[in-house]
Amino acid sequence: MTVIAVTGKGGTGKTLVSSLLIYFISRSGYKILGVDADPDSNLPDALGVEVKKTLGDVKEVFQVSRDKIGSMNKEQWLEGMIYSEAIYEFEGFDLLVMGRPEGEGCYCFVNALLRNILKRMVRHYDYVIVDSEAGLEIFSRKTIESADYVVVVTDTSKKGLETARRIKELSNELKLKFKGMYLIGNRITSEEAEKKIRDFAISEGFDLLEILPYDERVVDLDIRGEPVVNLSEDSEVYKRMMRVADHFLNIRILDGVIEWQKSLRLKSS
Amino acid sequence: MVERKRIEIPEGVKVKEVVEEIKEFPFDISPMYEGERVRKDDMYVELGGPNVKAKFELVLALPPDQVNDGKVTIVGPDLDEMEEGKSYPYAMIYYIAGEQIETDLEPVIERRNHDFQNYIQGYMHLNQRYEIWCRISKSAIKKGLKSLAEIAKATMMLYKNELPFIEKIEAVYITDEALVEKILKEVAMPIYEERDKRVELLHDEDVDVFYSCTLCQSFAPTNVCIVSPDRPSLCGAITWFDGRAAARVDPEGPIREVPKGNCIDPIKGEYDKINEFAARESGGEYTRICLHSFFDAPHTSCGCFEVIGFYIPEVDGIGFVHRGYTGTAPNGLTFSTMAGQTGGGKQMVGFLGIGIAYFRSKKFLQADGGWYRVVWMPKELKERVKDYIPEDMRDKIATEEDANTIEELKEFLKKVDHPVVKGVVRPVDGKKITEGWKEEVEEVKEEVKEEVKEEAAAAPAQVTPAAPMPVQQPTAPIQLPAIQMPQVQAAPAGIKLIIKDAKITIDKVVIRKAEKG
Repeated sequence: MTVIAVTGKGGTGKTLVSSLLIYFISRSGYKILGVDADPDSNLPDALGVEVKKTLGDVKEVFQVSRDKIGSMNKEQWLEGMIYSEAIYEFEGFDLLVMGRPEGEGCYCFVNALLRNILKRMVRHYDYVIVDSEAGLEIFSRKTIESADYVVVVTDTSKKGLETARRIKELSNELKLKFKGMYLIGNRITSEEAEKKIRDFAISEGFDLLEILPYDERVVDLDIRGEPVVNLSEDSEVYKRMMRVADHFLNIRILDGVIEWQKSLRLKSS
Repeated sequence: MVERKRIEIPEGVKVKEVVEEIKEFPFDISPMYEGERVRKDDMYVELGGPNVKAKFELVLALPPDQVNDGKVTIVGPDLDEMEEGKSYPYAMIYYIAGEQIETDLEPVIERRNHDFQNYIQGYMHLNQRYEIWCRISKSAIKKGLKSLAEIAKATMMLYKNELPFIEKIEAVYITDEALVEKILKEVAMPIYEERDKRVELLHDEDVDVFYSCTLCQSFAPTNVCIVSPDRPSLCGAITWFDGRAAARVDPEGPIREVPKGNCIDPIKGEYDKINEFAARESGGEYTRICLHSFFDAPHTSCGCFEVIGFYIPEVDGIGFVHRGYTGTAPNGLTFSTMAGQTGGGKQMVGFLGIGIAYFRSKKFLQADGGWYRVVWMPKELKERVKDYIPEDMRDKIATEEDANTIEELKEFLKKVDHPVVKGVVRPVDGKKITEGWKEEVEEVKEEVKEEVKEEAAAAPAQVTPAAPMPVQQPTAPIQLPAIQMPQVQAAPAGIKLIIKDAKITIDKVVIRKAEKG
């Protein structure tokens, strides 16, 4: 299982990046779970699919029905609700939307059950791609235990870069042991802008993964309210995001080799 | 109790019996496969699930001579006779026998079906009882899975390995719709209902262990959470059964078993081992915890509680307010103010956080009179728990529609003759635990007189046609605060307060006239 968290300041294009990642990786036949963990973003729309119920909705149902469950097992009850109502199966990938924030009352128990259920569930996917708000709450709360790779998307705006820097700090503070911290520069219009992103990546210790140019066709899709995955194949963003997806497909193989080597060493020692 | 017996299989349905041992299963078996989701595209068939009404799983404890160990019976079409992509009715029935096996264990053993079946690669099991939902993957079929008997055999093997007290086990799997429906209606449903009823009949004295949850200890460090059959958790989420389920799955996890030890006081719900545990858990802060007492070493309040109880000394009764109620209680405080007082894991006599489910308990604050000591709760909360209020108390507990101040509450309680007025006799042992409002009764008389006077005084005023008066209160001629007004005005004489550089937060200020003499 490889968990990729895509994050960044709202409006910088992280949903564009996560939806195209899900789209490209799903074409290679792997088992994929997409997770929309940003209440402000709309991953389902970007992917061109519809989701009616969120994990937040299921949690609310649990909160009001828990007294009526009788002597039944609550974890199994909640698991059934999640599998049947919160996870949506689409062509090539499954999708889970975290949804609304918690209401009043105590969510300790339902969240504890949830962590167990998700832990057992996500390990069966080859890729888990999380569209996460900049606070990385889904990982700090251990709803999903940890991410292997973090991809921070930014444009050249001061706020975008500031958020990217904060995410880096935050991941250090939370002691989230990521295997890699990547940066993707989006809507880059000039060489000067590109240089700004490159310099930023070096000074802050990010691996620069890709530079995405400003693309009229992405804006057009947005205006027409069409899913990003309808982007035409000759668009530059399309081509470069395919490269990003290839990177993560290759890295999985490399990680596999490393794991295999480790197991050999363990055996011999 | 529903009679436990073997299912009768009607004539004319297709029956397949497998007795011989299966040496090698055509699938992997490992806890690694737990949580595996068989997707629709990868599904060979679905058994039970949302598209099928007839489905259930059931464990029946039988005498040893009625169980054929290792035998599997499949009634109705087997996997190789099913059509790909379709959903089928499904019942899994296990007969079990063993020296230590009693009817009480049936639900516990039944729950493990979920765990064990999920160990099987390519087989997904979700939910429980009459809601089961299973899927078998195409790849499992490709690998050679042919019959449900193989699934049943593997499950039975796991049962015997993991739960050695099961001496004999036999399985009957049914896919014949009419038979699944019939047995669900005639056998399974009555048993499930019986189980849920038994939950309400299970009491603290019937078990040896309680459970403790540490999920909220990060923000309530001295909290000692005890969950017993008669006392569900404050947050409302965890019953004794949930505690048992969680502690069994992960004994080192946040929910642990606590042996209760010897009972010190059955009425208050005090146990020696629970006290020891409390001392340890709270870092020595609290050395006693009484589960069903409001005044003597009450349970600590974490902060997650759904409802807070508060003592009202003026009426010697207890009020309750729930989290969703934004108004103030008769004591002038809101839920959040009181929650701030006692939250964080404190044991504070006078305030007590509880879960709504505790109102259902037969031992609900029994040491302090239980329902007979309750004087006020918001209407919404009262509505939610009204079935648990003893009939003779239902009209005696005030809501915000009856009283919003202590004075209004006193009036109400007097009017309905609430037990606190003359003294509460606690039902658990018939002991009279409060004296009632002795002095209050006299005072009350005085007050009534005063009110009468006031009314009499007010009456003539209304007769004189003074301009703005008639608009005011023709329905409520008695305004109690009016009596107190002159006293308040008189109070400042002789007080000098100098406060410098002070930051004072006050939830409530009570100013009373000094006692004469």
